[in-house]
Parts: sequence; C-alpha cells; structure tokens
Amino acid sequence: MTSTTSKQSFSARIKRELNKNLLVYVVLIPVIIHFLIFQIYPFALSFYLTFHDWKIIGDPEFVGLKHWKNLFDDEIAWKAIWNTVKFSIYYIVPTMALGLILAVIINSGVKYSGFFKGLFFLPVVTSFVIIAGIWGWLFRGTEDGFINYLIGFVGIDPQLFLSSSSQALLVLAGLSIFKVAGTTMIYYYAGLQSIDRQLYEAARIDGASPWKIFWKVTFPMLKPIHFYVAITTTIGSFQIFDSAFLLTNGGPNYSTTTIVYYLYHQGFTSLNLSYAAVLSYVLFFIILIIALIQRKYIGKDPNYY
Amino acid sequence: MKKVISYTALAILAIIFIMPFIIMVFGSLKEVKQAQIDPLFWLPTNPSIQNYINIFSNGIFIRWIWNSIVITVIPVITQMLFAALLGYIFAKKQFWGKEAIFWIFMAVIMIPQQLFIIPKYIMFADFGWINTYWALIVPELWAIMGVFLVRQFLQGIPKNLEEAAYIDGANDWQIFFKIILPLSFPVIATVGTFAFISNWNDLFQPLIYLTNEKMFPVTVGLASMLGKEGNFGVEMAGATISFIPTFLIFIFFQRYFTEGITMSGIK
Repeated sequence: MTSTTSKQSFSARIKRELNKNLLVYVVLIPVIIHFLIFQIYPFALSFYLTFHDWKIIGDPEFVGLKHWKNLFDDEIAWKAIWNTVKFSIYYIVPTMALGLILAVIINSGVKYSGFFKGLFFLPVVTSFVIIAGIWGWLFRGTEDGFINYLIGFVGIDPQLFLSSSSQALLVLAGLSIFKVAGTTMIYYYAGLQSIDRQLYEAARIDGASPWKIFWKVTFPMLKPIHFYVAITTTIGSFQIFDSAFLLTNGGPNYSTTTIVYYLYHQGFTSLNLSYAAVLSYVLFFIILIIALIQRKYIGKDPNYY
Repeated sequence: MKKVISYTALAILAIIFIMPFIIMVFGSLKEVKQAQIDPLFWLPTNPSIQNYINIFSNGIFIRWIWNSIVITVIPVITQMLFAALLGYIFAKKQFWGKEAIFWIFMAVIMIPQQLFIIPKYIMFADFGWINTYWALIVPELWAIMGVFLVRQFLQGIPKNLEEAAYIDGANDWQIFFKIILPLSFPVIATVGTFAFISNWNDLFQPLIYLTNEKMFPVTVGLASMLGKEGNFGVEMAGATISFIPTFLIFIFFQRYFTEGITMSGIK
C-alpha cells in the first residue's frame, strides 16, 4: 500500500518535472550524448593510445611507456618544441604591438575609422590558404621575388626567405602577425574606449606630452588587456600549423617543424598514430600550463575579470 | 602635428594591409606566364579573365566550392539553433546539475583541437566516415562558445519578461520562439558569423578526414594547387572566388565580429 502511494507520487513527480523541464531534457540529453561521443571519448581514447601500439587490423597492443620514452630520445620532437617557442617569441610581442598601434590610430579621431578598422580586421577572416598563397609569392627567394625587389631599392641583396633555415620561421611569423593583429586591435580598441577621458584631461592640464600620456596613462590602464591578449596569442602560437604546412612543409631542415606540424607528420605521413597522440598530449600540457598561469593571475588581481 | 602623424601612420599601414588583397585580385586577372618572372606583374595592364575561365572549366573547383558550402552552412544553422536553445536553458531554466554540466562543457575549451584529431580519425575510420561530409558536419553540430555567449547575454535580461509570459500561459517552447529567439538575435548572428568563418576557412580537419580530391573543401583544394609552378594566376583566381563569401559575410556582419570578440574576451 505504502509502496504504491510512493510509486504514484514518484511518477507524479516525474510527470511534474517533465512538464516543467521537458525542453531541457529534449535538448540537453542528445547534446550530452554528442558531447560524450565527440569530446570525452576521443580525449580518453587519445590517452589510451599513448600506451598502446595501434594497428589497422587487430587489437591494440599494450606497450607501456614506450611512446613516451621515445619522446625523450626524439631530437626532432625537441626541435619542434623549440621551433614553436621561437615562433612564439617572434610572434607574440609584434602582434600585440601592431594591434595596439592600430587601435591607437583608429581611436585617435581619424576620419573613416570604421572603414580602416574593417580593413585591418580583414586578414583575420581570410583563410590561411589565401594569405599563404600570396605570402609565398611575396617572399619568393629569387631575385624577382616581390620583397627581394623592394629591398633591392635600399641595397639589400636578395634573400632566400622560405628556403633558408634561418629565415623561414620568421617569414611564417610575419604571416601570422599580419593575420592576427586585427584581433588584438579589437581588444585594445575596446580597452582604449573604456579608459576614463578625465584621466587624459588631467594629464594634459599637468602639461604632459602625448607621448608621455601614452606611456604613463594609456599603457598602464590597458594592463588587463595586455595580459588577456598575451595569453590568447601565446595559446594560438603553440597551435601554429597551417602556414608551416602550406609554405614550407616543416622545412628546410626541420626549421619550421612546429609541434602541430610534427604531430600531423607523425600521425598522417608516418602513420605513427600512438606517437602522434603523445605529441598532442605534450601540446595539451603546454597549453594547460599557460591557462593555469592565466587563472592564477586572474584570481589575484581585482582588476582582472 | 599629432594629426599628421596619425594620418601618415594610417596611410602606411592601410597600404600594407590592402596590398596582399590587391595582389590577389589583380594577380588573378593576369596571364599565367607573366606571374613567375615579374615582381610587378600584378600591375593592372592587359587584364584577362582567362584564369577564371580555366578554373571553372575544371569541374573539380565547382565541386570544392559546393563541398565547402555543405560543410559550412549546415553546422552554421545548427550551431546558431543550439546556441540559442542551450543558452536559454543554462541561463533561465532550473534543473539538477545545471552549473556542473555547463562548466564541464566549458572546460573542454582548454583542450587544443589538435588533440582530438587522432582519436577522431580512428573513430571515423570505424564509422566509415572518412571521405564523407559526416566527419566534418556531425562533430560540429553545436559548439560551447556560442552557448556561452547566448547564456551570458540572457543572464543580463530581467526575469519579469518571461514571468509575464508564463502567467499568460505560455510554455517553454513559446517563450523560446516568441521572446528569447528574437531578443537574442544579435548574439545569435555573432555565433553564426564566427561559425561561418571558422568552418569555411578550416584547413586542418578536412585535410585529415578527406583524402579524395572530390570531397575536398575549397581550402584543401586550393592548398593542393599552391606552389605548383606556373599557375599563380589560377591560384589567385581560386583564392579570389573562395574569398568572396567570407568578404560578403564580413561586410554585412562586421559589427557582430567585433562585438563577438569583445564579448568572449572582456566582460
């Protein structure tokens, strides 16, 4: 008797809950299943792979830490990590600086600022394939290359650019700076607009030069933006792949083999899926550390949101 | 003085930023042979549309454009719909585990997409999805970033709007379609524009899941043309065509891009 009443009230409760939240269940349950299949399962499978030898036919064979140990003896893997760090060094500060310069100019009261903002943002929405195609033509390492032609006017000898192991990574960084500066510009522009105008007026009344106002007022007031932009561009720079694939195929002499390029190469050219999974976890750990640094500083300073 | 510096810097930077696009368009209007030898070949003399004729007479290019449209448009529509639905659910509904589910979804953003490539390749090989649209459409049906943006937006909207509708006897679906959807249109447009650009421009995923030339989207197709000596003009014709949809979306929805970037970053 008691069990039937509790059953009834239980089914009544379910009915009530369904009435109230039917939309939630209808939408969320398929989404959670999708999330488990396409996010959680691959994440786990990838980790599992790093301890196994994957075969096209037959069961994967457990090999313990073999693939992880390979990483430590693999000079090219370390070179790829180092190349990626070098790429970050070439890329992060110039992208931030160019974005800030663009934002300052747009914000300085020039005419048609909306048009120019759009123009500077255009490379962001253009595919890497298009920009790489143009970039490759601009930076051809022969005398008749466009950039070589230009630098010829100031008496610089033709450079090899993409065929030079010391210059190729710089040319790729230049491409990324050109492509991404528009995004940093948008962040900085939002930051500049949120600075209280009275601060500038006070500084002007004190007789500060525009140059001084920039370094003493504007630049420090943008601190949260600097930090945010630094983190996002750093994370982005560790994932660089497209330009290395399109323009140099990781060469010459592995000088543009980045972590993701090497991962791609190991996985899909050498068909070393397990080792590629190890490399993808290396990338994951690096990005996780950057994100944790971000978390730590955001927690500490009340100026960050 | 300050004005002079601003305008000079603006002019120089504008020229640098517009130059690659001018080279692309003018380059596409040039005879093939000229492209290799002359750094100034792109200057507008003797334009011809021969490159465009060549690229379209090669049927595969039209197929690439079509593939790009399929794998872009379907996820764009579903991502907008799911962003709206899930954004509404996570912002306004009360149910067990709500916050936990949302933040688990969000945590996955921390994982670089490249980590999923290898396991997904193995899964898709099992599913028989390699060289099909499924590999590029099904995993992209919804995306958490859009949900985050809509949730963020709806949390800022006062409760009494929906409460009044509830009192009038409206159910969740009616509230969603009559109130939430029109209200959050600007955010949903932002989600759509971002989804369009990222899918249309994606190179990495199609490069891995598609090996059959007939299935390539235009990014992978163009990449396969890159660097082949002697067809820079054709390459640029292809680049120009594949750029047109991006450019139109950008012209009409520029506002949503810039607002979207600011919204997702600094709140």
